[in-house]
Amino acid sequence: MIGVWRRALIATAVVVVAFPYAWVTLAAFKDRAALNDPSRLSFTPTLANWREVVEGRVLESALTSLLVGVVTVGIALVVGTLGAYAISRFRSGGAVSRFGILLSQLMPPAVLVVPLFLVAFDLQLRDTMVAVVASHLTFVLPVVTWFLIGFFDGVPREFEEQAMVDGYSRLQAFRRVVLPQVLPGIGAAGIFAFVLSWNDLFYALILAGGNTTTLPVKVASFNTFRGVELGAMSAAILVSVVPVVIACFFVQRRLVRGISGGGLKS
Amino acid sequence: MAQISLKALVKRYGDIEAVRAVDLDIADGKITVLVGPSGCGKTTTLRMIAGLESVTSGRILIGERDVTGLEPKDRDLAMVFQNYALYPHMSVADNIAFGLKARNVPRAEIERRVREAADLLDVGSLLKRKPGQLSGGQQQRVAIGRAIVREPAAFLFDEPLSNLDAKLRVEMRTEILRVQRELRGTIIHVTHDQEEAMTLAHRVVVMNRGVLEQIGSPADVYQRPATEFVARFIGSPQMNVLDADDARASLGVAGVGDGAARLGVRPEDVQLAGEVAHDRPAVRFPALVEVVELLGASAILTLRARADRRLRALVSARSLAHVHEGDEPEFAIERDAWHRFAANGARMAT
Repeated sequence: MIGVWRRALIATAVVVVAFPYAWVTLAAFKDRAALNDPSRLSFTPTLANWREVVEGRVLESALTSLLVGVVTVGIALVVGTLGAYAISRFRSGGAVSRFGILLSQLMPPAVLVVPLFLVAFDLQLRDTMVAVVASHLTFVLPVVTWFLIGFFDGVPREFEEQAMVDGYSRLQAFRRVVLPQVLPGIGAAGIFAFVLSWNDLFYALILAGGNTTTLPVKVASFNTFRGVELGAMSAAILVSVVPVVIACFFVQRRLVRGISGGGLKS
Repeated sequence: MAQISLKALVKRYGDIEAVRAVDLDIADGKITVLVGPSGCGKTTTLRMIAGLESVTSGRILIGERDVTGLEPKDRDLAMVFQNYALYPHMSVADNIAFGLKARNVPRAEIERRVREAADLLDVGSLLKRKPGQLSGGQQQRVAIGRAIVREPAAFLFDEPLSNLDAKLRVEMRTEILRVQRELRGTIIHVTHDQEEAMTLAHRVVVMNRGVLEQIGSPADVYQRPATEFVARFIGSPQMNVLDADDARASLGVAGVGDGAARLGVRPEDVQLAGEVAHDRPAVRFPALVEVVELLGASAILTLRARADRRLRALVSARSLAHVHEGDEPEFAIERDAWHRFAANGARMAT
C-alpha cells in the first residue's frame, strides 16, 4: 500500500512540476487563436512565434546572458574558492562568517539596486555588462563561497600539511593537493552559480534594460503595451529554460551535498 | 641526519599553556618517542618542530640551523600522519615522488629513489595503484616510503600506527625498527601507547600537561620512574600506587615508607608468598583473589587485601595451578620492589 501512495505522491509532484513546461512548450507552437482558447488541445503547429523570437533578437540576448553568466561564474569561482578555503581552514571572520556570508541573501535586491544604479551611472557603466556582472556577484559570490566551504571541510588538513612539510608553499599545496579534491564541488558550484546569474531579471532589467538586455529581460519585453505576446514569450522562455534544465540534470546530486555541507560542520 | 634541539619551547593557546618550556635534545640517528596521554602536548611539540604550529617562545635547532621561524618546506623534515594523508588522486608512485618533485630532483633520480624506497618497504608491486585500492597496512608502508625517499634531516611520526589493528601494529612496529636500522635515521615518534614507546624507543620522553616528566631509556623509565605519573603511565598492567599510611594499615608494610607520601609496586612484584625465598626481607599478607585474567603465559590477578585495599598482581600461569577465584592465599612483596614518591609526585631515593 505504501508503495502505491508513494507512487501517487511522486506522480502528482511530477505533474505539478512538469505542467508549466508542457504548457509553455505547446504555447510556443500555437497561433494567436489557439492561445486564446486554452481548452483546445488539438491545433496546427506554427513557427510564427519562433520567427518573432529570431527577429526580436532573443538569441542576441541569450548570448549576452551567456557572457554575463560566464564572467560572473569565473570571478565567483576564483574569489569564492579562496574565500571558502580561508573560512574552512582559518575560521576567517570568526564563527559568524560560515553562515553570516549568507546574510546578504536576506536583503531584498531592491535595497541594493538603487546604490548600484547610482554607482553605475557615475562610472558611466549603466547599460553595460560590467554593471550586470557586478550586481550578479552580490548574490552569486556568497552562495558559491558558502557552497564550497563544506567541500573544503571534507579535505583532511593533513593533505596540505604533508605537502608543506614535503617542500611546497601553502599556495602550491592548495593548488596541487587540495584543489583536485574539491574539483567536483567547484564544477557543481559553477553550474549552480551560472543558473543564478542566467535567471536574474531584476538587476539586469534596472541596470541594463537598454541595449545589453539579458535573456530574462528580453522575455519580459514580450509583455508589450499592446498586451502579452504569449506565443513569442513562450518560445523565448523555452530558449531560456532548456539550458537550465540540462545543467540541473548534471549537478543534481552534488547540489544537495553542497547545500547541506556548507553549514553543517563547524 | 642531524640532532634536533628544543630550547625552552612554549606554546600557548590563549590562556592555555599546551607546552611549557620544554628543553630537549634529540639524538642523531636514534628513535626518540614522545609519549603521554592525550592533551599532554606531545603532538603540539611535534607540529612545532615540523613548522605546522607557530612557536610562542623558545627556539628549535636542527643541527646548527635555527629553524624556529622557517616555513615547513624549508626545514628538511619528513612527516607521517596518523591518517597517512595519501593523495587519493595520485598513484602510489606519484605519492612517493611528490616531495622529490618539489625539490626539482631529476626524473631518473626520482624513479630510482621511488623504486628503492618501495622495495625497502615491500610495496614495489603496488606503484601503479591508487591509495584507495590499498589495505591499511599497505597505505602505512606507502606513507613511510614517501618520507624516506626524501632523505630528510629527521622523520616525524605522528601516531602513525594508531589506525592499524593490533596485529598489523606490531608488524609495522618491527618494520619501522628494521627501516630505521638500515637508514640510521633520526626519528621522533609520537604515541599515546606506552607499549609502542617502550618497544620502539632508544629514548623515551614522557610528557604530561605540557611538561617533560622524564627522559630516559625504556628500561630507565620502567625501572626508575622519575615521578608518580610516569610510574602509573608506563607499564601494563598499571603499577599499584597506595598512600603510604594505607599501605602500612592494609598490607602491614613497615620500614620502607618512611617519609614517602605514596608507595608504588609493579604488579609482577606482587608475588605468591611461596615463590619468595623465606630469608628475603618482604611484606607478607593474605588477599582474596577476586578476578583472574589469563593472558597465556601469565595472568593478572585482582586482589582484595585488608581494609578493602585492591591490588593487581601479575603471576606466571604455571603458579596459577593452586590459585582460583575466591581463594585467599598469602602474597609477598619484596622490600626493594617498592617505589617511593614524595607528596609532589617526585621519586625518592631508596
